[in-house]
Amino acid sequence: MSKKRQLRFTMMSIALTMAAIVLFLLATLVDSFSTYGIPMMAAGLVLLVTSWAIYFFGERSAKPAKEEPKETVMTVIGCKNCDMREERAFVQGDYIFKDMGPCKKCSGSSYIKAIYAVPIKKE
Amino acid sequence: MVSIGQLFPIGNDTYSLIINVVWFVAFFVIILFFNQRMQIWTYQRNVENATKRLEKLAEKSREDALKTIKQFAPDNTDIRSQVTGFLDFFAIEPVDRDPYGVLNRLEHMIDDRQGRFKDFVARIEPNGSKIDRTKTEGVLEVAMSLNLIFKVVRHYLLLGKKTKSLMIFVQLDMQLPQIMKMAEAYYVAQDTFATGKPMGDGLGALVASKFINGAPTKPIAEDIIYSEIDISGRKAFVLKAEGPDFTVGKPGEAVKRLVEGREGKIARIIMIDAAGKLEGETTGEVVEGVGAAIGDPGPEKYKIEEVATKYNIPVDAIICKMDIDEALTTMKKEVVEASDIIVERIKKMIAERTKEGDTIIIAGIGNTTGVAQ
Ligand SMILES: [Zn+2]
Repeated sequence: MSKKRQLRFTMMSIALTMAAIVLFLLATLVDSFSTYGIPMMAAGLVLLVTSWAIYFFGERSAKPAKEEPKETVMTVIGCKNCDMREERAFVQGDYIFKDMGPCKKCSGSSYIKAIYAVPIKKE
Repeated sequence: MVSIGQLFPIGNDTYSLIINVVWFVAFFVIILFFNQRMQIWTYQRNVENATKRLEKLAEKSREDALKTIKQFAPDNTDIRSQVTGFLDFFAIEPVDRDPYGVLNRLEHMIDDRQGRFKDFVARIEPNGSKIDRTKTEGVLEVAMSLNLIFKVVRHYLLLGKKTKSLMIFVQLDMQLPQIMKMAEAYYVAQDTFATGKPMGDGLGALVASKFINGAPTKPIAEDIIYSEIDISGRKAFVLKAEGPDFTVGKPGEAVKRLVEGREGKIARIIMIDAAGKLEGETTGEVVEGVGAAIGDPGPEKYKIEEVATKYNIPVDAIICKMDIDEALTTMKKEVVEASDIIVERIKKMIAERTKEGDTIIIAGIGNTTGVAQ
């Protein structure tokens, strides 16, 4: 997200610099433009300054405004007797090997088998 | 028409000659003298942005720490000023110019520091349970680290500004990617610590608890418990830090006591720990080696090496590779899966390298937050 914006600012800055160089070259090298030499040079300078300004300050504004969580944490509940397996979101107070009472499938006792983080896929 | 000469217009009159000379001089002045200044500006801008980010992280982690503490603190106490003051708490490493007994002195210093932490948390969190308090210790540890990182980076930024030294900025800028990665990892880790989720570094503890699997446990050293179990005819002492507290305990002391308690009649010591991976290596890769696999500042590792050498006990190391931020934040799925692989590897290892009736030690190293036994 911010990478894209940063890239756009850089591209804009480069394009403006290129335009300024073209203006300078036209003003100095092409005879028929020589009457407008000074205004063209001035315009080129303005372009250069804008280009630098974008390069310097654009990056700052492109910083991410807020941080989104990058992962979800899952808790896996298993049983000591059967192959019951249940997965749900992590709740504070969960820990691995925590006793979770009787199993839903059989008469064995269930416990937290694993807790792990899975990255949230970006759309 | 186009002609190159027009790029450097040299008129006949002296007036235009002077203008040209002034132009060239100005050009060289800019190139020669402002060049470095411009480079300083560029580096300085990077460092300033990083410092701002670090300041924000330090501030946020302090606020989060306060939020965590507030849950267990009485309403009328001023925790803010106490915590802010405590963030600057420091510990001085022992002198190593005379290395005799330096690890004992280091251990003493670490114990002292840990004791002060515990006392401080007990004082501001009278309503918290033992687990809550150990979690708060971790949360405070993060806030302190971020506070220190921010202050050090700011110090060099201001020093660079004051001395206008390009080299200070270049050096700082070169290290920034690593510093920032570390700081961001710490910041994310704080939430993991506060909520008591198991962290990547808890891999060793997780493997040990899979061996213990509900068997009765006994305390053996500070914050360390062990269990005696049978693995295909061998007697195994499995030890880990006492979970689900936020603690690493003193596994070195525990191994030493177990070995000494049996007069050195231990066939093998197997250690399991998380280890930093190189860029390009995959998270959750399981690698075997020899030596004491433990990333403590020294004392615990030394105890294991010393007792293993004294009784000539081979020490096997099994490590699981992960990134520094993966070690500090919530355990990744790959790491959980690696723990099952390691359990199988150890069983195979025991069958291949020990005889029936042997006694072995399996030490799961790492912070056991969120992992009981
Ligand atoms: Zn069941």
